[in-house]
Amino acid sequence: MATINVENISKTFGSLLAVNNVSFNVEPGEIFGLLGPNGAGKTTSIRIILDIFKPDSGKVSILGGPMNEEKKNKIGYLPEERGLYQDIPLERCLVYLATLKGIEETEAKKRVAEYLERFDLFSSRKKKVKELSKGMQQKAQLITTLIHKPEVVIIDEPFSALDPVNTQMVKDLLREERAKGTTIIMCTHQMHQVEELADRIALIDKGKTVLYGPLNKIRRQFASEAVIVRALQDLPANLSGVTEIIKNNSHTVLHLAPGKTPQEILRVLVEQNISIEQFEIALPTLDEIFIQVVNHAGATK
Amino acid sequence: MKKFWLIFWNEYKRHVMRKRFIFAILSMPFFVGLMVLIGFVSVWLQFNDKPVGYIDSYDILEYPQQVPKKEKSIFDPVKSVAYPDEESAKAAMIKGEIQAYFILQETYRSTGEVTMVSNIKPGNNARGDFGEFLSYNIIKGLPEPVIKRLNDGNKLIIRSLDGAREIGAENWMVMLLPLLAGVLFIIAVNVSGGYLLQAVVEEKENRTMEILVTSVSPDQLMAGKVVGNLMVGLTELAIWIVFTVIGLTIAPLFFDIGAPPPISLTYILLLVGTLLPAFVMVAAAMGAIGSTATEMREAQQIAGWFTLPIVVPFWFVTPIMFNPNGSLAVWLSLFPLTAPIALPLRAVFTDVPWWQIVTTITLLCALAYFSLWLSGRVFRIGMLRYGKKVSLKEAFKRS
Repeated sequence: MATINVENISKTFGSLLAVNNVSFNVEPGEIFGLLGPNGAGKTTSIRIILDIFKPDSGKVSILGGPMNEEKKNKIGYLPEERGLYQDIPLERCLVYLATLKGIEETEAKKRVAEYLERFDLFSSRKKKVKELSKGMQQKAQLITTLIHKPEVVIIDEPFSALDPVNTQMVKDLLREERAKGTTIIMCTHQMHQVEELADRIALIDKGKTVLYGPLNKIRRQFASEAVIVRALQDLPANLSGVTEIIKNNSHTVLHLAPGKTPQEILRVLVEQNISIEQFEIALPTLDEIFIQVVNHAGATK
Repeated sequence: MKKFWLIFWNEYKRHVMRKRFIFAILSMPFFVGLMVLIGFVSVWLQFNDKPVGYIDSYDILEYPQQVPKKEKSIFDPVKSVAYPDEESAKAAMIKGEIQAYFILQETYRSTGEVTMVSNIKPGNNARGDFGEFLSYNIIKGLPEPVIKRLNDGNKLIIRSLDGAREIGAENWMVMLLPLLAGVLFIIAVNVSGGYLLQAVVEEKENRTMEILVTSVSPDQLMAGKVVGNLMVGLTELAIWIVFTVIGLTIAPLFFDIGAPPPISLTYILLLVGTLLPAFVMVAAAMGAIGSTATEMREAQQIAGWFTLPIVVPFWFVTPIMFNPNGSLAVWLSLFPLTAPIALPLRAVFTDVPWWQIVTTITLLCALAYFSLWLSGRVFRIGMLRYGKKVSLKEAFKRS
């Protein structure tokens, strides 16, 4: 049974159709990427899932049914625009928000201290939140999202304002959460991060789902008939079954003739005694797919 | 329910534990004390303890004696010095020994005629003290009870027909109580409402709201905030009442301020019954305004219009006092926004029919509940909306 089931949700604000008949499932223990350009309807969809907004039509099931107060304790949410009390000490702010997720105060204090240590924020625990840097506030916000050991984590742009070291730390943390069985929805437009982490994705554009499924399957679906080859010597100018050879600095892209498979091309290369270091199917990056789909949607319109 | 208390306690603590709050609490008694002090200083500045002279050529006073200092008086009475004739009194005044002199006329006993001579304006106390000196010496031979009676004057008590209420000239504080309660109520309502408004607008501005509503229900959040800020206002009120009681206990040791007001339990219940739901009503409305407004300044402007009707009865204190059963007073005490001040004020001067009290309190309670309910709804729609206000139509529509 899916952890989150979104069925044909639509939401209008005045004359703006923010979400138009969007559907997707999020399976238990996966990292699900909810992608889309700015203003595509990602945040509205998330707010509908979280029951902050009611959809005009369609329905959402989370953890086996509609949202209720008890389920709120099982969900961790990191909003796009960070929300922490600015005028109180960091530790007090985190403990208070943790208690609102159903943790006893003493336990909350203990967990906050552990997380502050891990996130290298312990020495700043008595500082007011507004005195912290953007990156530090982002890490503090992540503590709020994870402190109550949620079953579902919904994070909106988790890597913004983080330096490479902290980005890596957050990635490790998300992988760790997935390993524990936590279901994660990651909402972002930083495609390379999604490529690294997400199992499945949904791409929303102008309120509509334009792509949905396992990441690998989607990349294969958009893959042109080409292979990437890195060889120790120069490749011959003509290769059977190859229509075009494009040389790059580090590798060569071979475009396949219609009906030819990568296996056949590999056989040809081996037969010609070419020493191969790398041979892979040329899959498009998510960035390329994203631009292709969004531009295509714009063009059709 | 537990989360309601968490919100409540956080809301209460974040205001009460602040230096700003303690400062606000103490500033009220401080300013009252300052006003009293300024009053004393201004009296003192006009006080001149230099003696006055008098010429009693017709032996009106027999063996005159100085008036003894009164028990609760701060200043000694001005001494009255006898001079045989006007020439010597004038000379003493020119030398600066006395500030003025009085000439008792022959007809004094029948007309009370006295002439005062002075170069400069004498101290405010000089004439009064000399008047007391005269009456003290004229009646001094009379029996003690008669002297006391003459000095005390009349004791007028105004009593209602059924004898349920009475106002004496001495317990003027009974009249002051609803006015004082009203002023404190308005201040407390503005403080609580202001805090609530600020809390909601701030949470909207710093986007904490999104975290909060994914942790607690909007109803719990709103109720916790309203009750928390209400308690902040009530704490403030309670502390001021304690200060007032302390003030009223200490003041009679030094001054004569009249008898303590005989406040009945029914009257206190009436005060609580009107002020408490009114408090909830206004606080909830402030919360709703905060969640619909897009910035603090705008929220304060809307809130200002909302709290304005509460002070309206103060403009009509005189008509309410003189005609407490007139249609103006009755309507002001029935209309929910003006009732918190108008009803307790009316109740001091007349027997308010029980049906009016019941109607007012029921209306206030119903409105308080409605206000809470509506603010919960408005809050839900308006909490994450930036840049566009929530219309009433939207609030009533299913969110």
